[in-house]
Amino acid sequence: MRAWLRHQKAALRGALARLAGQPFAGLLTAVAMGVAISLPAGLYLALDNLGRLAGGLPAQPEISLFIADDASAAQKTALAARLRQADIARARHVDKDTALAELSAAQDLADVTAGLPGNPLPDAWIVQPRDASRAALTRLADELGALPGVAETHLDSQWAERLAAALDLGRMGVWLLAALFAIALVAISGNAIRAQVLARRDEIQVSRLIGATDRYIRRPFLYLGALQGFFGGLASIGVLAGAGGLLQEPVAHLAGLYGSTFHLAPLAPPEWAAVLGLPALFGWLGAWLSVSRALGQVEATH
Amino acid sequence: MIQFSQVTKRYPGGHEALSGVDLTIEKGELVFLTGHSGAGKSTLLKLIAAIERPTGGVLTVSGQNVGRLPRRALPYLRRNVGLVFQDHKLLFDRNVIENVVLPLDIAGFERRESFKRARAVLDKVGLLNREKANPISLSGGEQQRLCIARALVSRPALLLADEPTGNLDAGYAADIMAMFREFHRVGTTLVIATHDDRAITAMGGRVLQLDHGRVEARA
Repeated sequence: MRAWLRHQKAALRGALARLAGQPFAGLLTAVAMGVAISLPAGLYLALDNLGRLAGGLPAQPEISLFIADDASAAQKTALAARLRQADIARARHVDKDTALAELSAAQDLADVTAGLPGNPLPDAWIVQPRDASRAALTRLADELGALPGVAETHLDSQWAERLAAALDLGRMGVWLLAALFAIALVAISGNAIRAQVLARRDEIQVSRLIGATDRYIRRPFLYLGALQGFFGGLASIGVLAGAGGLLQEPVAHLAGLYGSTFHLAPLAPPEWAAVLGLPALFGWLGAWLSVSRALGQVEATH
Repeated sequence: MIQFSQVTKRYPGGHEALSGVDLTIEKGELVFLTGHSGAGKSTLLKLIAAIERPTGGVLTVSGQNVGRLPRRALPYLRRNVGLVFQDHKLLFDRNVIENVVLPLDIAGFERRESFKRARAVLDKVGLLNREKANPISLSGGEQQRLCIARALVSRPALLLADEPTGNLDAGYAADIMAMFREFHRVGTTLVIATHDDRAITAMGGRVLQLDHGRVEARA
């Protein structure tokens, strides 16, 4: 166990020394990886912020229930009782006089409404269901619409649904892009490690002759790959922070024009961990593939 | 310690380097392999160190059937065998003492202990004052001594040397052979492939003459 830890420490130290010995090559690899990571991570961040922006708007879907003019008092009581059940988050009754008054005030239509012979608006309930999924919404709207005394229901959620669908699509795109760039990371790392392995052929051959296991030989390269991935992650955090810094001002300005205090949110700590950890993992994987293959070749030539 | 029975090694392409070799080397023995180049001396050593596998017959080293050993077991076999190469196979990206501690690093020794042992063995081969030097700055004889130090640092029971004095002038060669005699005296089993007849007569020990892949014992 202690020998194992010693081996790990030595391999990590060796990998760091190797990176420090070739800062330019290491930097190039880190930049290439950083850019590759920045694209999906940046898109993720953009969607995250867009989602937050949408979440700040009244995107909670509502069902409007319009009561029939000829509804009886018993029907109205039954309806009110139904709306107190557990699947309804909130239900607000808007009687037709209040509705008319609100309409007049809000839309500056006092002149128009004053000229009306009677109140054309129905009594209504504004219902917020607890389950906001599309299927549940439609089911609830249909059920409420079928109740006696209800003239019409209006599902007021289309735009919110469309936005949610667009965001879902975007998220799927992020995952797709992330998967592609993960493959790119493995390739970048594998290529960099391959060069390292070939440059150290002699050492590998000698180590083998004096009793090194494949694991011993592989270990420093794996650390090197993981470290390169990690530094790639750092570079991408730098890229994202830079881009965020550039965009912060114009976004705040644009939001200000809409009377909003919206601002860009940077990566949260768990996302930091992902941006650093996943590239390290893929760097490790690329190194593993590359070094295993190269070891086979070194074997064949001695 | 080492037992060849009907061992044959045929390289891809058909060249038969060893043909039906029967041979026993006891623990603590000093054995010289001689013969013209291409007679199979190097191949014999490579088989013992499991660098090559026999294509026929059975070869056991310390009771293990080398031909049947799984690949992952080879490193552990090699840790008990010290190898001295004609071309030294030193690493020039590190200094003298780092070359010597490499086998101990591989075996997982603690660094401080490794350096202590490495200094002791460098002292034995007379390179202690060069421990910080790069091996490329050493003379041929010194490089060979460094290679020997690396082979001995893990205190192997068996030392294999392939033309250890092949590239050295007579003075250096005598030094190296004297060193080997010392190791023999303390109980290390040595198998040395060499052309150097003077060294053989000076040191005694068993001599095996190889000729076209066959062993002919010689007094």
